[in-house]
Amino acid sequence: MTRTRAISGGAIVALLAVAVALPYIGATSYVISLVSTILIAGMLASSLNFLIGDAGMASLGHGAIAAASAYGAGWASKQGLDPGTQVLIALGITLVVSFMYGILSMRTSGIYFLMVTLALGMVVYGLAFRWSQVTGGENGISGIKRPEFIGEWWTFYYFLVGAFVLTTALLAVVSRSPFGASLRGIRDSETRMRSLGYSVPAYRLGAFMISGTVAGFAGLLSVWLTHFVSPSTAGVHKSVLLIVMVILGGVGTVFGPLIGAAVVVLVENVLSNEVERWPTVLGLIFILVILFARAGIVGSFNKLIGRLKRRATSTPSPPAEAELVTPSGAPVSERNHTA
Amino acid sequence: MFTPVFLAEQTLNGLSFGALLFLLASGLTLVFGLMRIVNLAHGAFYMIGGYLGVVVAGLTGNLLLAVLTGVVVVAVTAFIVEVVLLRFVRGQELPEVLLTVGVSFVIADLCLAIFGGDPHSLPSSAGIQGSMTVGDLTYPWYRIFVIGIAIAIGIALIVIQNRTRIGAVVRAGVDDREIISAMGVNIGWVFTGMFVVGAALAAIGGTIGAGVRSIAPGIQDEVLLYALVVVIIGGLGSVTGAAVGSVLIGLIDAFAKAWIPELSYFTIFAPMALVLVLRPTGLFGRTT
Repeated sequence: MTRTRAISGGAIVALLAVAVALPYIGATSYVISLVSTILIAGMLASSLNFLIGDAGMASLGHGAIAAASAYGAGWASKQGLDPGTQVLIALGITLVVSFMYGILSMRTSGIYFLMVTLALGMVVYGLAFRWSQVTGGENGISGIKRPEFIGEWWTFYYFLVGAFVLTTALLAVVSRSPFGASLRGIRDSETRMRSLGYSVPAYRLGAFMISGTVAGFAGLLSVWLTHFVSPSTAGVHKSVLLIVMVILGGVGTVFGPLIGAAVVVLVENVLSNEVERWPTVLGLIFILVILFARAGIVGSFNKLIGRLKRRATSTPSPPAEAELVTPSGAPVSERNHTA
Repeated sequence: MFTPVFLAEQTLNGLSFGALLFLLASGLTLVFGLMRIVNLAHGAFYMIGGYLGVVVAGLTGNLLLAVLTGVVVVAVTAFIVEVVLLRFVRGQELPEVLLTVGVSFVIADLCLAIFGGDPHSLPSSAGIQGSMTVGDLTYPWYRIFVIGIAIAIGIALIVIQNRTRIGAVVRAGVDDREIISAMGVNIGWVFTGMFVVGAALAAIGGTIGAGVRSIAPGIQDEVLLYALVVVIIGGLGSVTGAAVGSVLIGLIDAFAKAWIPELSYFTIFAPMALVLVLRPTGLFGRTT
C-alpha cells in the first residue's frame, strides 16, 4: 500500500509541478488554452465521476447543468451586471437546476435515472435554443467578460489550476466521508440501506446537489475561458462525452476524470486536425475501453501495479488467478476506491 | 387558430407524427422488455434506414424496395452489434447502454462521411402522391399512409406477441429467463432476434419518416429523445404503452408547435416529468 501511495503522491506532485511550470517553460497560448480546456472538462468529469462512482447514478444530462450556469453568467454579463452578481446568478441557477434534477430523479435508479437526466438535459437545451430573448437562441451569448482580478491569461490559468485542485480535493474528501460511505452503501444495496433507516432519496438528492454545484462551477469557468456560450454546450453530445471521459479514465478514481478529459479534449482538438473521422475514432476507443478495459486507464494502471506487487511479494498463485476469473469485466458499480 | 379545419389539420399532423414515433418506440420498448437494454443506438438505426431509403427511392422510385433495403442493411448491422459487442456485456446494465452510445457515435459519423451534411428527403415521386380533400381540409395522402402503416404494424406486433409460438417464447423470456432456457429454448438467440427486429422497426420508421422529416446529421439524437419520452410515458416494455404514448406526444407536439413554438421542447418533457413523479414505471409499465 505504501508504494502505491508513494506512486500516486509522486504523480500528484509531478502533475502539479508541470501545471505550475507550464507558462514558464515557454508553452504557447494554444497549449495553455488546451490545458485550461482539459482542466475544466476534468472538473466537470470529476463531478460526474463522484455521482457514478459513489452513488451509482449515471447522469446523461450533466453537461446541461454546466451550460445552465454558463448561461446565467452570460445573461448577467450581457445586462452589464458586475462580476460578483454574475457569479451569484450563475450559482443560483446551478442550485435551482441541480435541485430540479435531483428532485425528479431521486426516486429512480439505473436506466430510469439515465433517461430522466437525459430528458432534463434536453429541456435545458430546448430552452437555450428557443427562448431567444434571454439566451440569444442559436447564436448564444458572446463577449462575456471575466472579473478583472483574473483578467490576464496567466492569472486566470493559475486560478483554474487552483480551482481544479480544490474541487478535486473537496470531492475526494466528501467521497471518503461517512456521507460518501452511505452513498456507496445505497449504490450496492438500496434495500439494505433503507431497512437500516437511511432515507435513500434524501441521500441521492444530496449527492446530486454536490455534484451539480461542482458542474455549475465548471460551467462558470468555461464561460470565463471562452467568453461564449451556445445551446450546443447543453446538448446530449456533450453529456455523452462526459461519460466517455469518466469511463475512459476510470470510474471511482481520483485522477481518472482528468486523464479521460485529456484524451477526449486532445482527440477533439488535436487529432481532429489530422483525422477527419475523429468521432469514429472516439467511438471505437470508447467501445474498446468498455469491452476490454472496464476499469479505465487509471483503474487498469492501478490493477497492474497491484498485480506486480503481488508477484513481488511472491504469494502463491490463487489471488492472481482470481484476478483472471474476474477480468476487467467486473460491473462498474463494484469498483473500489483507489487513487 | 381554433377553426375546425385548423384543429383537424393539427390533429392529423399529431397522429401522423405519433405514427412515426410508434414505429420508433415500439422497437425500443420491445427490446427493453425482453433484454433490459435501453438501446441508445436506436436513433442511429433510424438514421441508416432513412439515408438508405432516400438513396434507393431516388434510384428506383420504389418505396417498398427502399424500405426493404433499409430493413435488411439495418438488420445485418444490428445482428453484428448484438453478436460481436453486446453479448460480451450481457446483464451489466451500464456497460450495455454505453456500448450502444459508442455504436451510435460511429454510425452517425460514418453516415456523415458517406451521405454528407445536407438534409435528405424522400423524393415525392417515390411516396404516395396527392392530397385528400374533405370540405375545406386538404391533407397529403402520404401522411395518412404513414398512420395506416403504423396501425398495421402495431396490430401485427400485438397478434404475434399474443397468438403465436414465437410470441409465447418472448413473453416467457420477459417473465422468467431461467425457466424458458431450462425448457430448451436458446434465449441468447431469442435476444438477438428481438434486437434485430427492434432495429428493423427503427429502419422502417427511418425510411418512411424521411418523407415527413428530412434526414440530416443530428437526427439520430432527436428521434431517440422523442422515442425515449414516449417509452417513459407509456412504460418500458409495453407495446400498448408505446402506442398511447406516441399518440399523446404526437398530438401535444403538433399543437404546441402551432400555438407556443418557443416552448415546443418543454411541452414534451413536462408531461414526462409529471408521469415520472406520479408513476415512475410509466402509464402501462409493470411495477416490479
